[in-house]
Amino acid sequence: MPQYMLLLRDDRELFGKLGPEEMQKTIEKYYAWRNKPFVVDGAGLMEKAGRVMQKKNGSVSVTAGPYSESREVMGGYYTIEAASFDEAVKLASDNPHVNFGTIEIREVIHKSA
Amino acid sequence: MNELSSPVLLEHLFRRQAGRTVSGLAGLLGFEHLQLAEDAVQEAMLRAVQTWPFQAIPEKPEAWLFRVAHNYAISVLRRSTRLESKTGDLIAALEARTQSVENVDIEQNLRDDELRMIFMCCHPELAPDARVALSLKLVSGFSVGEIARIFMAEENTIAQRLVRAKKQIRERRLPLLMPHSLELPERLNSVLEVIYLMFSGGYATHNGEDLIRREVCLEALRLGQLVATSSMAAPRVDALVALMALQAARLPARMDAAGDLVLLEEQDRSLWDDELIALGFQYFSRSIAGEEISEWHVQAAIAATYATAESSEAIDWPAILGHYDQLLRMTGSPVVALNRAVAVVKVHGPEDALEALAPLENHAVMRGYHLLPAVRGRVLAALGRFTEAEAAFSAGLECDCAEPERRFLQRQLERVRADADSHMAHKSLA
Repeated sequence: MPQYMLLLRDDRELFGKLGPEEMQKTIEKYYAWRNKPFVVDGAGLMEKAGRVMQKKNGSVSVTAGPYSESREVMGGYYTIEAASFDEAVKLASDNPHVNFGTIEIREVIHKSA
Repeated sequence: MNELSSPVLLEHLFRRQAGRTVSGLAGLLGFEHLQLAEDAVQEAMLRAVQTWPFQAIPEKPEAWLFRVAHNYAISVLRRSTRLESKTGDLIAALEARTQSVENVDIEQNLRDDELRMIFMCCHPELAPDARVALSLKLVSGFSVGEIARIFMAEENTIAQRLVRAKKQIRERRLPLLMPHSLELPERLNSVLEVIYLMFSGGYATHNGEDLIRREVCLEALRLGQLVATSSMAAPRVDALVALMALQAARLPARMDAAGDLVLLEEQDRSLWDDELIALGFQYFSRSIAGEEISEWHVQAAIAATYATAESSEAIDWPAILGHYDQLLRMTGSPVVALNRAVAVVKVHGPEDALEALAPLENHAVMRGYHLLPAVRGRVLAALGRFTEAEAAFSAGLECDCAEPERRFLQRQLERVRADADSHMAHKSLA
């Protein structure tokens, strides 16, 4: 079955509008979605800025960042299984994250046997 | 990803923990840093919602939130430009508490912090509606949106009310201290009033079932019990807890399946919450152990009389009327007088009740209050004065009231019209 990667970017301002009860309910919704059978894998990323590496003039430069110019920071990813791209979009649209940022969906290149 | 077992968070854990942590932080930092305490809790919950979905729920989620909030407060204080000598002490106190977060003593400390926070939020120098909103926000962890829903107000109105109240706390330097003995009675009364306003806000009838109403009622009950089991305990606190428990017990029976109001006398008593009734009676007997008789005592006695009756036919109306007489003497309130009139119908008949209602007609407080014409209409109908009853119910429908109450009045109006018609039919036959 084809696999799709969901790249989640967070909008802290949208999360910040939630009160305590809504925060708890939101966490519970994330868990409910994650425990569905089509979810293969997933991980969160630390919020503090990472490093960007790039080879320049023969040497690798490491810079702090990326400082996202938009408010949205990559918060984590999930890998899911779906029969088609359309189905992947449908499954992802139930993820509560659609309310708190963006979800980018990419099909994973199939490792042929 | 099924290797992560489905975690379960205690119901309302975040809301409860928000209140406790704000109280705990503010208790250490003082009223000057109330905003920092709130920001720290908000930040901790924000981090939880951003990271927990990708990991297992921490084994002790309360401790996690508590620690992250404290660490946030510490980092903000460290960065603060005007480093006062006091700041170092505050940081040390916060660090000490972060380390003792799993210590049993902290439970008692947090209870005391919560109590101090209640007394600050209910300070008589703050406007009454601000006290209620502030308590719900800071002590009970309700959001601005939720508070607005409870009191059917605009979110902006509530937000502004909170900002004003917090400004007053800073300007008047209202401390997070237990009141001293001289001011205790006034301060305690204000706390009890706020708790009951909170309860009534949840108890009021509104359009549709909203779970939040029941949650507010139970939270008010919890705060009442917190005060009743503290060093601020007094018989009138027990009486208030009894009153709220006995009234809250009736919540499940108050509306029928169609969302229509069911009068107390017509409620299915098997739907009443037995545990809350037992709690109510437990506090009621505690409340009458002393000499004191407060308004809360009399109100609790009325609720207890209803609850004791085996069936609606067995309600001891003379006892209820006696309690209302006493309550009316104590308060002089027209709303009490209106409720008393309902008992008068049962004990002395509609003629006397109509007389009891008469002085209320021109009362400023009662203007636009739908229950006055509603009661008047029922009394007139009982006297067979159907045309006047019809007019009363129609007047009730002109008032501002919630949809279930409007439907209730509408039903009464239709019933009295039908009665009038059959009465006319009988007359013409005769």
